[in-house]
Amino acid sequence: MSSPANDPRQPSTAKPYKPSPVAPQDLPIDYSGFIAVICGVFGAMFRYKICSWLAIIFSAQSLANMRNMENDLKQISMAMMFGIMGLMTNYLGVGPRGSKKT
Amino acid sequence: MAKHSFSLSPLSSFILPRGDTLFYLIALFSIISLLIHHLSPVSAESRHFEGFDADEIDDFGDSDEPISAAKHLPPPPPTTTLSVSDPIESHHGPPSPSSDPTPQVTSQPSDPKPASTSFEVWDEDEFEGIPQYPPSDSPLITESDTAASSESDPGLKLEPESEPESPKSISSYTVEIVCVSFLIMFVINYFTGKKENEKLALAWASKFATKDSIFDKNFSLLGVGETDDSPLLLKEGQNVFKFYASGRRFCQGLLATMELKSRHDLISRLYNMVVPCKDEITFEVYMNDDAMDHVVVAVAKKKLAKTMQKEITDLQRFASLVSPPSGKKWIAEELAVVAESKEVAGDMINETVLDQVFGDKAYEKFGKGFISMHFSDQHLGSQKKMLVFKFALPDAKNMADMTRLVALVPYYIDLIGRYKLSTHARTKTDGARMKVAQEIYKELQNARQEAMQRKKAEQRKKVEEAEAKLSAEALRKKEAKERARQMKKAMPKMKMTRTG
Repeated sequence: MSSPANDPRQPSTAKPYKPSPVAPQDLPIDYSGFIAVICGVFGAMFRYKICSWLAIIFSAQSLANMRNMENDLKQISMAMMFGIMGLMTNYLGVGPRGSKKT
Repeated sequence: MAKHSFSLSPLSSFILPRGDTLFYLIALFSIISLLIHHLSPVSAESRHFEGFDADEIDDFGDSDEPISAAKHLPPPPPTTTLSVSDPIESHHGPPSPSSDPTPQVTSQPSDPKPASTSFEVWDEDEFEGIPQYPPSDSPLITESDTAASSESDPGLKLEPESEPESPKSISSYTVEIVCVSFLIMFVINYFTGKKENEKLALAWASKFATKDSIFDKNFSLLGVGETDDSPLLLKEGQNVFKFYASGRRFCQGLLATMELKSRHDLISRLYNMVVPCKDEITFEVYMNDDAMDHVVVAVAKKKLAKTMQKEITDLQRFASLVSPPSGKKWIAEELAVVAESKEVAGDMINETVLDQVFGDKAYEKFGKGFISMHFSDQHLGSQKKMLVFKFALPDAKNMADMTRLVALVPYYIDLIGRYKLSTHARTKTDGARMKVAQEIYKELQNARQEAMQRKKAEQRKKVEEAEAKLSAEALRKKEAKERARQMKKAMPKMKMTRTG
């Protein structure tokens, strides 16, 4: 466009990039992680297969959307644990009931 | 924004680190409760089986798996069909010593007891339908009959399990099949979507940020690092890319944030099929403090312009919708301008801009990707003087479509950097800013005072509560103690007098 004849660049004023610190409250809320935890708990408590599977799917989603490694990983791993635990009790554990419901 | 974060804070506190400990507690608690739940029946079983042979224990240990149990106990199902036990139950009288029941008892003397114990072990919830039989039978039928009834139980127990065997093949695994295939799809989509996003971002960077491109000609430093070889793009998450440039007159730096569709996420991808969204790029230009006069202008499509005017604070405070001036070329009809004054709007939307992008004809051709534009010297946050451009990204192949839009960025930096308000307009804007500053100051003071008053009130309450608690018993004790002290104080004096 109408860039002037002289060079607009000023190397002397260049500042390196400083990532602006983002408060954890300002980060978008990880709904999928939240849903995953809830589903995982329900799946493990009441032995709903679907809940455990949903928990694993949603924790996979929140794993895919993870931005902040440390904070999110804890929560996601927890949701995963719940989901896997629910599945274990459903398919492997606790004899008659687990097999009966399938 | 502040309101938002406040309103969300109770929810977010659940999710964010502060809630972690709570989650872990819940997790621990539920794990323990599950463990207890699992262990209790096992221990009960083992107690009951202490007296029996190892073989039988094995049998019942295996009874966790119904099919194997069926294999281990071949005798009961053929011998104890319902037809055998039915006649006995119908008679209800003293059992006629027919030939059938007696050999059962003799042949399997050890069977009945374990079966009955296993009954005690099972929760009522576990076999809702079955345990109703024994209470109806046991009081009426004598010992030999309990053998029959208890033997009929394994038959009953086996029957419902053998029935679902046949349809178990595929239909009963639908949930698992669906979920596993979805997970696989999800993983595949994650990698393909990730690549797609990266491709798009790289296409943009190679078009506008490589050598002899728009940004290279305008900024001396490109990329997020300090050196020249540093990567141009910074990846945040899987769908956010940032591009930084600095070293130009009038401005401290420019930060372009590409927010792409979350293609890596299958669920949101499916959601976006219903609610479509765009790949967006936002340029934030941080102007030098001395390089920007009082300018508050925003341009967007009409609907968006109205919402911006309502929701963005600086527009709300200083600006209003500008009606198109008569007898002058103005921006395309779909667009609207929100500005502090007509003068500013007229100066910002000048002939060249109209020619290039915002005029009726140009907008049809090049304006597809334009979303909004917002210049203000009163932005919230640490950086007040900022230009914000929002564009939609075209496909990776058609990246050249947005060349004119991107060219707006350095153009406006120069235009605003050189722009000076007329004295008349300046006095007005000065007045407006003073007013707003005073209002803000007042609000702040009010807020502070309120906070102080609240604190004082809370402290008072605490003190009062503490006094109220103390008052009843503690006061008595205190008084008693004080009396004792006084007595003690008095005593030594007495002694002193005695000795002295």
